[in-house]
Amino acid sequence: MARMVGDEVLEQAPALRRRRAARRRLHRLDALLSPYLYVGSFFVVFCAFGLFPLGYTAWMSLTDRNLLDPTTHFVGLDNYTALLHDSYFWNAVENTLAIWAISTIPQLLLALGLAHLLNTKLRARTFFRMSVLLPQVTSVVAVALIFTQLFSRDYGLFNYVLGGVGIGPVDWEAGRVSSWIAISTMVTWRWTGYNALLYLAAMQAIPDDLYESAAIDGAGRWKQFWHITVPMIRPTIIFTVIISTIGGLQLFTEPYLFQPLKNGALGGSARQYQTVAMYLYEKAFGSSQFKFGYAAAIAWCLFLIIVLISIVNYLLVRRIRSAES
Amino acid sequence: MATVATSPSTTRRRSRRRLKMTRRFESAGPLTYLFLLGVAILSIFPLYWSVVVASHDNSAISAYPPVTTPGSQLFHNIGRVFNSGEVNISFWTALFNSAIVAGVIAFSVVLFSTLAGFAFAKLRFRGNKLLMLVVIGTLIVPVQLGVIPLFVEMKHLGWINHLHAVIAPSLVSAFGVFLMRQYIVSSVPNELIDASRVDGCHTFRVFWHVVLPAVRPAAAVLGLLTFMNAWNDFFWPLIVLTPGNPTVQVAVSTLQSGYVEDYSLVFAGTFVSILPLIAIFLVLGKQIIGGIMKGAVKG
Amino acid sequence: MKRIHGGRRWQVLAVIGAITAAVAVGLVATTASAKSRDDVTLRVSLFGDFGYHDLYKQYEAAHPGVTIKEEIQEYGPHHTQLAQRIATGAGAADVEAIEVGFIPQFTAQAQNFADLRKYGADGMKSRWLPWKYQQAVGKGGAVVGLGTDVGSLAICYRKDLFAKAGLPTNRVQVSKLWPTWQAYINAGKRYQAKAPKGTFFFDTGSNVYNAMIGQLNPAYYNAEGEVIVATNPSVKAAYNLTMSGIAAGESAGLPAFSTQWNTGYKKGVFATVTCPAWMMGYIQGQAPKTKGKWDIAATPGTGGNWGGSFLAVPKQSSHQDEAADLVKFLTSPASEAYVFKQTGNLPSQPALLKSAPVQSFKNPFFSNAPVGQIFANSALRLKPQILGPHQGDIQNASTAAIDRVQQHKQSPAKSWAQFLKDVKNVAG
Repeated sequence: MARMVGDEVLEQAPALRRRRAARRRLHRLDALLSPYLYVGSFFVVFCAFGLFPLGYTAWMSLTDRNLLDPTTHFVGLDNYTALLHDSYFWNAVENTLAIWAISTIPQLLLALGLAHLLNTKLRARTFFRMSVLLPQVTSVVAVALIFTQLFSRDYGLFNYVLGGVGIGPVDWEAGRVSSWIAISTMVTWRWTGYNALLYLAAMQAIPDDLYESAAIDGAGRWKQFWHITVPMIRPTIIFTVIISTIGGLQLFTEPYLFQPLKNGALGGSARQYQTVAMYLYEKAFGSSQFKFGYAAAIAWCLFLIIVLISIVNYLLVRRIRSAES
Repeated sequence: MATVATSPSTTRRRSRRRLKMTRRFESAGPLTYLFLLGVAILSIFPLYWSVVVASHDNSAISAYPPVTTPGSQLFHNIGRVFNSGEVNISFWTALFNSAIVAGVIAFSVVLFSTLAGFAFAKLRFRGNKLLMLVVIGTLIVPVQLGVIPLFVEMKHLGWINHLHAVIAPSLVSAFGVFLMRQYIVSSVPNELIDASRVDGCHTFRVFWHVVLPAVRPAAAVLGLLTFMNAWNDFFWPLIVLTPGNPTVQVAVSTLQSGYVEDYSLVFAGTFVSILPLIAIFLVLGKQIIGGIMKGAVKG
Repeated sequence: MKRIHGGRRWQVLAVIGAITAAVAVGLVATTASAKSRDDVTLRVSLFGDFGYHDLYKQYEAAHPGVTIKEEIQEYGPHHTQLAQRIATGAGAADVEAIEVGFIPQFTAQAQNFADLRKYGADGMKSRWLPWKYQQAVGKGGAVVGLGTDVGSLAICYRKDLFAKAGLPTNRVQVSKLWPTWQAYINAGKRYQAKAPKGTFFFDTGSNVYNAMIGQLNPAYYNAEGEVIVATNPSVKAAYNLTMSGIAAGESAGLPAFSTQWNTGYKKGVFATVTCPAWMMGYIQGQAPKTKGKWDIAATPGTGGNWGGSFLAVPKQSSHQDEAADLVKFLTSPASEAYVFKQTGNLPSQPALLKSAPVQSFKNPFFSNAPVGQIFANSALRLKPQILGPHQGDIQNASTAAIDRVQQHKQSPAKSWAQFLKDVKNVAG
């Protein structure tokens, strides 16, 4: 079945032909099974530590499983119904979406511009490329610790700089929007360079003649950028949008470490920056409640939200080309 | 979409191509340099600042105006991070643990990803497309989704507090499979595989003698990226490990919880925790960037 | 040919096998090196420094083959992780510290802990303050933990700031300033009227509020074990009084135990702080340069307790006997006396509290205040409070409620309503 098996049939002596036949059978078996064996190694581990927990979570979300209570009852969709009326859940959804939007949109636009600038004849090219990727190498924990201090109300560098121009001091952690901005800054700082490199790679693969003919048509640089570059790297844009959607909607470490106190994962006194992942953590581990069933329902809703938004994003970004062409 | 192949036979073609491409690019103007320099400074500054804090004593964190120039106590503070009388965790253990975790994961991800990537890219089998879709689909499954049962599972395996619990779930990576597939599609010529097939090569021999040598650059980059990600992971180790047997990220986050909160100590620990990665990055940065960019084009 | 192929297949299997083995070896190699059977490593998990280091060395010297490993985390994560590990039955340390706010949660699942009666706890019962011993007793009389310290209350204040604001600085006169919490809030108004710029009377409303709650009985739970937060007028009164202090601008609004709060000590941003005995060590660690500027006065109201801990042995420990023995050692009179000298953590045993070394102890950091006397007498007078399983969560919710007001995010009434909702969520 493998397409490379050369099946040229030659006139051969019977014995040789038999042997050939046996060998071909073996080859066929090899061609038939090998792919599954190779792919299987991935799926075996994935099933054990990815799929099984997933299914188990789905089952758990239909029960009132609580770590402190040895008996578990099937409750149907009760957890989901309760979740729909849980204002803290919706608050977490709102925070997550807001932080995601504030971090992703500027991040990708910035990355696009950065890639465009890097896509020139440049001295010290490696230096610039490496410096924009440096934040990506830094661990999330380090980023969160460092930026939390930079955003500190009384002695933080940002407030010092803002104070220099007569603003503030801003209590970044306490405010709703200000805490979103602080957390988004961490995300943006860490990911912009990485996305810029992806865009840069895609830009370099655009054939020259496109630009040449556009130049002949009299299109300026700006027009070339929007009408050739952006549509041509659309697949990469879709990829980065999807990846940052997945990452952004699962956001946990940055806001968790941003909390002045780690008593649970409330995300501020008024839950102003509690993300869905944090709310899940709070319900499952972060307090003395251990409502695993409920937390599992949160997990599945989070999954649904991610899928939904990924699809919406995909459809939106796909319009780039249809609008352009 | 045009791709840049790397097999030796195409090197000449590539360099010719590069030449042609650069002719298209305009030289960067001073504004471009200024902007890029600004971005570079923004990228480096937070790290620089953390080193500055780590090089002062504890009062630096609350100095006003904030400190911006390095002090003299960096090595003193790093020494304190490793002094078991001074901090509540063993930083050596943490570094050692992280090295093992990240090393094993990187090795295993590269191996399994190359195998599966090869199968998806070059072998024809029923369900190829569907299974690849499933692999990509697994990318959107949030980590948090499986945390609770995974924890229960680890308990049954008796792996709580052991590094196994951190390693096992990361042994394979959908991203890795995807990356290797893309790379193999473009950089391992079908003719080469067909030729070895005609010579009577078994599939695994093809993999071993033809595919593996060809994908070495991509495998190296995938290994490095995986190593970095594993080194930086926090959420899951925080749940299954204790400060008694931590990875380096768990160790850094517990440095804060000593009796006295000492930020010069915390940032010295942070510095130590990112130092290995920065070192790798400085040495192999060019290759890593090349790998990321190559993986991207074929999206 | 066929044989060659068969050979190749084996070759393939061998390679795959070798790789699997390599990964497996890698996994196994990560396990801590196996120790011989006689050697026991005991893991002790604490939050903050309990001052045990020298005691471990003593114990290890007296018990060859025993190695003690200490793990320290923050207060919040420590109890979260402990609860998680007790509930799932794996991963807990051999000796676990439990703070008083969380002890009811664990006495409610006494079956998961070694009953320390088995190791002679009931014979030593008379050592402890009766209520302290009783707090760790679970269903059927099982003793879940033994008491380490108690957190009887006083008020630490900055003499220099008081002088600048025209308030008395002598600790006897200062104590007379605030016989009640209302008087304390009023003193704050006096302070604020002439306060040095940028300073406040107290650090954060939640610390004042929690001190008031600590003096109530019943507070959050009644004798039947029901949550009575919403119906207990004393709780609401404590909240309202705190709010009036915040409204008068007396609070620095620094969330307790945050980095800003720690810095507040160094910079002298607040003039008073609710001071359980263990807080002394905390202040000395955070702001060593403020030595001599502090003094200690009596708390408003009567007595009161904040904090203090227990040591427990989870049933999942495979060295319960050795761990229980270590717990007995660490909570012995000699050890508690030693810890008091090291950190200022107040013993929970009356004989020690009355002993000369404690009674005569003066702390030079706090202007030589007779802290032994102040705290010991307060502890001996203390009346216990009925606690419940969600004590810690309710306290966290109240802290958030007060922070919301301090950060101008909600009105006191709205924040109270949300607090009640949170309590219902947690305990309901």
